[in-house]
Amino acid sequence: MSPRHHPSADVLAAYVTGALEPGFGLVVGAHVELCAHCRAQAGALEAASGEALAKLAAADVGADALEKVMARLDEAPHAAPKPDPRPLLERLPLKPRKWVAPGVWVAAVDTPHAPENRVYLLSVGPGMPTARHEHTGAEFCTVLTGAYRDELGVFSAGDFAAAEGDFNHQPRVEGDEPCICLFATEGRLKPQGLIGRLAFALADV
Amino acid sequence: MRVLPFAEAPACAPARRRGKVRVQSSAETDEALLSRVARADRQAFAQVFSAYAPKVKGYLIRLGASAAAAEDLMQDAMLSVWRRAASYDPAKAKASTWIFVIARNAWIDKLRREKVELAYRSALPVSEESADEAPDDSVIRSQTDDRISAALETLSPEQRQAVQLAFFEDRPHSEVAERLSLPLGTVKSRLRLALIKLRAHWEQLE
Repeated sequence: MSPRHHPSADVLAAYVTGALEPGFGLVVGAHVELCAHCRAQAGALEAASGEALAKLAAADVGADALEKVMARLDEAPHAAPKPDPRPLLERLPLKPRKWVAPGVWVAAVDTPHAPENRVYLLSVGPGMPTARHEHTGAEFCTVLTGAYRDELGVFSAGDFAAAEGDFNHQPRVEGDEPCICLFATEGRLKPQGLIGRLAFALADV
Repeated sequence: MRVLPFAEAPACAPARRRGKVRVQSSAETDEALLSRVARADRQAFAQVFSAYAPKVKGYLIRLGASAAAAEDLMQDAMLSVWRRAASYDPAKAKASTWIFVIARNAWIDKLRREKVELAYRSALPVSEESADEAPDDSVIRSQTDDRISAALETLSPEQRQAVQLAFFEDRPHSEVAERLSLPLGTVKSRLRLALIKLRAHWEQLE
């Protein structure tokens, strides 16, 4: 089933042009990978960005830049990393899982992010309420497996959700499989309730 | 969230496909030039370089790279244009789109690759403080400076020299390589190892 919840046009444009923080870009990328609609949009935005690049004012490059690059043309190239065909969930470099409650674990993603820009997986078992929390900054989320429901509707695999500062929500897992979501957050989360406090304290996210 | 790099450029929104966008009267199209680059034509590469290198550098600066880092990264990206030209398919993308994607990916790869560096830098409260500094801040800063000095002591003299040039004097890797008479690859791996060591020392202190 194709995702029903997509990033906004400006988030997608920031992703395509390289302007998103890498952690947030990873979460948008997780959605784009699963969403043909957004892949097509991203392709159009890349073409538009190419046009914009061609029209961009030239910056001064080093006087010997061409010479330096020409001198490197014969260097042996690094082997290009092979595309990894596994699903994102298996490809993500994860720190060890931390169980924070029966059926609930958190694993920080070992990926570049500033201290105030955290990236992690949260897995919550069927029927469990997830941590009710408020945000001090933006939060991006892409559902990787399973589904949850909150005030905005049902979010299942591939769906993308963005929350801003003062959004206080309590998602609940739908269906009978665990819901695993990839999150990026800026600012400290202010978890409420025991599961929330435990999850975020133990996972150091 | 960052400001889009092309915010004031005309074609930020997805544009309808038009025919040839730029009028190139006598010159070859960029697409034809790239096809020649794919056949290892150095002269064609030099033409692509002079057309795109200044724009790629401008784009990287808009993304937040310092002028020195943008210069390094631009050179790496243009080298990738040379190396990957054989995979360029003019039926799938215009030359400008393909070069844009290479430059953007070089930027993202840099952010990922330099994770350790970013983490290290974020622990350094230099150059971001305001002029009117609270007294507490200066105490914390001098303690931090002591800890940085102690961490630097754990490096070998060669590593320390490279770190000094690259991070404290903010010189591009290519210039560090020149000054130390070392290949660029050696400088890069030396810096990476030094940063890993610094980071490990740092974490031990936390």
